[in-house]
Amino acid sequence: MSAGPGGREPDPAAVSGAAAPPAPGGDQQETAVRLRQRIQRQFGRSLHIRTLDTGSCAVCEQEIRLLAAPHYDLHRLGFFFTPAPRHADLLMVTGPMIRAFDVAVRKTYQAMPGPKLVVATGACALGGIYRADAFVHGSADAVLPVDVWIPGCPPSPLALLQGLLVAVDRLSEKVAGLGFTAGPPGVPAAGHAAPAEGTSR
Amino acid sequence: MPLWFARGIRRGIVTTHYPARPERSAAGLPTPPAFRAASIDAALADRLTAVCPSQALHRDGAALIFDVGRCTACGRCQEAAPWAVTPSGEFELAATSRAHLVKQIRLAAGEDR
Amino acid sequence: MTALQPVPPGTVASLLGVTGGELIRDGGGAVTVQVPAARLEAAVHHLAAAGARLADLFAADGEQVMLRLVWGLHAERRYLITQTPLGSAEYPPLSDIAPAAFVEECEIYEQFGVRPVGGKPLNRVALPPHAGPDFPRLGHQPLQAPQEAHAPHAVGGQAFEFPFGPVRQAGVESLYYGLVTSGEEIVDLYLFTWHKHRGVEWRMQGRSPGEAIFLAERVEGLSAVGVTWSLAAAVEAALGVEPPPAAQLTRAIALELERLYNHAAALAALCQATGLAVGQAAAEIALELLLRVNAAAFGHRYLFGVIDAGGVRRAPDPAALRGGLPSAYGELRRAADALLATNSFMDRLEATGILTAEQARRLGLVGPVARACGVPIDSRLDQPPAPYAAHPPALAVREAGDVLARLRVMLDEAADSVRLIRHLLDAGAGTGTAPLPATRGSGLGWAESPRGEALAWVGLDDAGRITRARLRPASVRNWRGFDDAARSQNVFTDIPIIEASFWLTVAGTAR
Repeated sequence: MSAGPGGREPDPAAVSGAAAPPAPGGDQQETAVRLRQRIQRQFGRSLHIRTLDTGSCAVCEQEIRLLAAPHYDLHRLGFFFTPAPRHADLLMVTGPMIRAFDVAVRKTYQAMPGPKLVVATGACALGGIYRADAFVHGSADAVLPVDVWIPGCPPSPLALLQGLLVAVDRLSEKVAGLGFTAGPPGVPAAGHAAPAEGTSR
Repeated sequence: MPLWFARGIRRGIVTTHYPARPERSAAGLPTPPAFRAASIDAALADRLTAVCPSQALHRDGAALIFDVGRCTACGRCQEAAPWAVTPSGEFELAATSRAHLVKQIRLAAGEDR
Repeated sequence: MTALQPVPPGTVASLLGVTGGELIRDGGGAVTVQVPAARLEAAVHHLAAAGARLADLFAADGEQVMLRLVWGLHAERRYLITQTPLGSAEYPPLSDIAPAAFVEECEIYEQFGVRPVGGKPLNRVALPPHAGPDFPRLGHQPLQAPQEAHAPHAVGGQAFEFPFGPVRQAGVESLYYGLVTSGEEIVDLYLFTWHKHRGVEWRMQGRSPGEAIFLAERVEGLSAVGVTWSLAAAVEAALGVEPPPAAQLTRAIALELERLYNHAAALAALCQATGLAVGQAAAEIALELLLRVNAAAFGHRYLFGVIDAGGVRRAPDPAALRGGLPSAYGELRRAADALLATNSFMDRLEATGILTAEQARRLGLVGPVARACGVPIDSRLDQPPAPYAAHPPALAVREAGDVLARLRVMLDEAADSVRLIRHLLDAGAGTGTAPLPATRGSGLGWAESPRGEALAWVGLDDAGRITRARLRPASVRNWRGFDDAARSQNVFTDIPIIEASFWLTVAGTAR
């Protein structure tokens, strides 16, 4: 587990959904970015993952379990599951963040020492299936500061691997540059069209 | 135990080489749609919006807004308009910002309601 | 209505005689009888004595709360629904006669505010503790909160009681339970399942059947086919619609594929629980290959998007199935055979987590868990939905009721599923959906999911939208068996093994 300095330790207010503190400016910003990259490089060699089910339908969990199975073997990439939040570097969250879970989510997140990453996993955690109401917050980022979002229902183990590698900066994010537009018939569906307006990287 | 050892050796390695090499089995996965913007006018965009069960689509003036984060790759939009909606083939969808998953697709000229 | 319809034979006729009830509807596979509240207790006595199985108990809001009991009539191969309008906030105590009803009585109290006479303490099962008066319910808030009573423990010496979960080891669902122990031995274990309650039945109100199917897939995603089939069948029964025969065959293929991969996943979980990493890897190879077969055949690893109200949205790819299934199943078979010959594995399974047939019947358990105790229920045989009448499965039953018996039942079923899929493919599985009229109605649907009988009941309004959807995946029934199985002479380290052998989900019961 990384012993890097600094890292983002959000205040408890952020965990409960209040507004994030203002970002640092200028030199501080650059230092923060470089620190973050160093931390991600540390994580890239050995990352311990804690999973958190906040109300999923159980299929995302099955795909996550398969990451340790022979076909995918996340260990070869330096990733490991841990049952203890105290040992974890990354929190992989599934489910629509059922409100009855608030205490458990807060305790799990706060038990993880910084620096730490949060990956929202699956359509439920991204706000796709349930809207915010009396039962659920509706998405993981309503409660936790999310670093990486992985779409899918469920995201396959391959998509999960890509997401973890993006989280530790070993793979570049791809989706920001995809437009999800297709050319005229006869031309293969181009996911790689020029970025549409409104996307940025 | 020799039973298991022999089995393991005979079975060989099944582990994917991803990300060093592309994974063939990815071709069988359901993926979010790609939209043939030239074939979609406002009316079709509204129909696609209505057909999506996870509200991943909505129309904003002359643009179709597609939230990849909400998409479950169920294929209903593709079934509704197969000439205008095809599988994107993309499964590497992880984003470092939620906004990166929201796409604006400029629609074909038509009634701009 | 009674004068126009012929009285059904057997149990239903005698029930009508005893209770003076009124035949509402004879839908072939399910008969609905209205029983006045004053005669409900007599009706339950009569049905329990006649050997009927209480499959579900639920309520619906309206001018009066309508209490419905779903009974399985084994000999007559169909279901009986008794419906009783409740004039008051209390109804006769049913769980004294049919113990299987206790958890549902608790749920009905939390959702509708009606409770059995007698003041017996009711537990919190459905809604979270913070659910106040404005919390979305299917009916009305109860006057008093549930008391959360648990069975008193009689232990020689000290007993230590502590909560476990809900956040557990990596990659498993959240599960919250109370554990009572005198050291190593499990004295009592009681589950809390309200922490994963998403209010799916409440969300379905006002939705179209198609929208509800999308939600139903995600109730218990590992039983997506089983749960959506039961809901689709309920809608079809309500509207008097039958899916095209080719679609019915496709449904059965998807359901058998679902059974196959779930049983492979259960085997992998058993290996993990017994600490056999190599066996776990072998089972996971089989599981991954089966999921890829699902993706190749139906376009989704977990078979989402196959079932639709009125039929199916996709036809299977026969080449992919015929090509991929034998080798994937071969992996599972070889892994299972090697494990059944490994003593360190078998020693952990035998005589662990024993349930008796009497317990299974009393608790109303279904699926492989019940069949492993010698209770021969399988809705594919007892009340066969369309394709299974012509292609019946073999009944997989064992007697020992322990973890090993449950595993053997699952493995027998897996072998049979492969055979069934081949026959169903040969019979011409295809796609197609019967059109749904937009009209009023109500109906019961069922399917034998990998975990057992999944039931659903819907009420539709004049526009064909849902007024009440009742979903009862098999997990709702079988978790109560987990408590009993864990208590029978087991130690802590047996709990994951027993849990794997039940192979239930929290999502399916919390909904």
